[in-house]
Amino acid sequence: MTDTIIFVLAGAFATATPLLLAAIGEAVAEKAGVMNLSVEGMMAFAAAVAFAVTYQTGNIVLGFGLAVGASVALSLVFSILVLGFSANQIVSGLAVGILGLGLSSLAGRSFENLTMMAPANLSLPVLSDLPLVGPILFRQSAITYFAFAVAFLTWWFLAKTRHGRITKVVGEDPAIAHNLGFAVIRIRLFAIIFGAVMSGLGGAYASTILTPGWSDGLIAGRGWIAVALVVFGTWRPLRIAFGAYLFGALLLGDLAVQAMGFSVPPQIMTSLPYVMTIIVLAAVSRNALLIRLNAPVSLGQNFQPSK
Amino acid sequence: MYQIVRAPLLGAVLSMCWSGTLFAQEPLDVAIVAPNAIGDVGWDHEVVRGKEVLEERFADKINVTVVDSVGEGPNAARAMNRLVANGTDVLILGSFGHMSDGMALAKKSPDLKVLHIGGYQNLPNFATFTVRHYQASYLCGMAAGYATKNQQLGVVAAFPLPEVLGILNAYVLGARSVNPDLKPVKVVWLNSWYDPPRDRSSAESLISQGADVVYSLFPGTPSALATAEEKGVYAVTTLSDNSAHAPNKHLCAGQANFGVVYANVVQSVIDGTFEGKDTFAGVAEGAIEVAGLSKDLTDEQRAAILAKQDAMRDGSFDPFTGPVMNNAGSEAIASGKTLNTSEIKSMDFLVQGIDSRLQN
Repeated sequence: MTDTIIFVLAGAFATATPLLLAAIGEAVAEKAGVMNLSVEGMMAFAAAVAFAVTYQTGNIVLGFGLAVGASVALSLVFSILVLGFSANQIVSGLAVGILGLGLSSLAGRSFENLTMMAPANLSLPVLSDLPLVGPILFRQSAITYFAFAVAFLTWWFLAKTRHGRITKVVGEDPAIAHNLGFAVIRIRLFAIIFGAVMSGLGGAYASTILTPGWSDGLIAGRGWIAVALVVFGTWRPLRIAFGAYLFGALLLGDLAVQAMGFSVPPQIMTSLPYVMTIIVLAAVSRNALLIRLNAPVSLGQNFQPSK
Repeated sequence: MYQIVRAPLLGAVLSMCWSGTLFAQEPLDVAIVAPNAIGDVGWDHEVVRGKEVLEERFADKINVTVVDSVGEGPNAARAMNRLVANGTDVLILGSFGHMSDGMALAKKSPDLKVLHIGGYQNLPNFATFTVRHYQASYLCGMAAGYATKNQQLGVVAAFPLPEVLGILNAYVLGARSVNPDLKPVKVVWLNSWYDPPRDRSSAESLISQGADVVYSLFPGTPSALATAEEKGVYAVTTLSDNSAHAPNKHLCAGQANFGVVYANVVQSVIDGTFEGKDTFAGVAEGAIEVAGLSKDLTDEQRAAILAKQDAMRDGSFDPFTGPVMNNAGSEAIASGKTLNTSEIKSMDFLVQGIDSRLQN
């Protein structure tokens, strides 16, 4: 029983990590007023590149680096469309996302169904050996700690720093931000690139640490869950972190419940995370003030500075 | 004037050359369509590996073309049409989802012969086949029954479909036949053919419940095996010998050999005796066998497993021979009765000793 509790509570951190990374990146892009729906494609491409490079060279750092590069390259295509040509953000995001999925199949083609050993998780002298708390909190991958740290730093950046506030102004009303003398396009570009870096890390984590292996379709909708998590957390990083953890636990709870032999219809358990999303989204949407206070007003709208 | 007619003329000459080569050809054109990208193990690997068997047996009497990553949907119809337009005589379809497009094409092209893996509908020129995976599963169950120390087996299974239930039941019957002390076998249903992260998590969850043999029953990835290797528990798998993914902890695999069936069908096309029928091929035909047996099994244990396989081959043993109880406590197969093909293919119960219930 204890083992199963540890499995769910500890596993939830690992399962939540790629969701959290991608969602935080998307939240920052959306806070700057850019809806980037290519998260799924960026994660998939990064995952394929990360696995291919790590498998070939045995160097996971290089794998992560090139994966982030691949993801950023995709986001630059998106940026040119959206920031350069004022193309519709939703359509451009979907198109680049599909491109990313295609590129992931291409990059992973000769690595189909290969696996490798994951690098060992962190092990701290005393803390990791504590009962219950040790395996749950102190035996995770370094990337997991990094993801939760980034969530906290993003909260701090958006809420407490001057640059964070400028980013939010750009997302609220780019015209005013422009008139105040801020480079709207450049700030949005940085926000998109930050999102791509995070998605890239999330994808790389998925294919090298969470499920060390590559098969076409590995990301399997996790990019879309990340996009939903942003709304779930009403664009607030700490809530997103909580949502990601909850999602991770629910995704695993299903498997744990089945393995324990309870006769809950598995379809119900499998759909629980998604049902939860709908309920929370409905609840959040009912609270108009919450949305108005947190949703970037110009989300999805392009801005072209007129001289 | 010459310039105007040059292009069509050239085209006509070229097409004559092309059709000339088509008419001149003797060898039979065989095309294999696989639904996904091809890995070094698993479903698509096995679907395509049949090519080697064909080439070895028929050498230059046939040409084999392989098209992969053709999933169910409009793309499949397009790919099949193109293959047939290019002169394919025998089309081998590797996905259940190819059924409706393949049927439509077979109706349109009476000269074409189609062999569909896993389907249940036939036409005079549309044959189907399934492999008796449950036979190897019974044998791997014996291996698992021998190898477990905790008396706890765990299974990561795709969907609760009749074919999968049959494989699962045979596994548990095999395990209990050599080890009556087993605890009820734990099962996690993925409800997916393919989801590597869930595959891995399911294996971890079973291991956290004390399972020390994990059976990866049809998920299309080696994730569960890699997890078992990492956690130091035994792994059993379907379709391919996965020893490479779990070099120390690979206990047993049901190695499918689709090529045997392909070859029989191609031979029947050459002989002009092709029939649009269903084949249920097993150990006797060489379409399935145990492979990758762990070195941790003793010689006696391995001999017992292989003896059972021989008994299946000569027909003296069948896993689904009564009396067999289901896990609700009633009799599923009466004493002395052996399930026939259609009963195996419509299985709707779990045998005694499985800690899972079917939802209806």
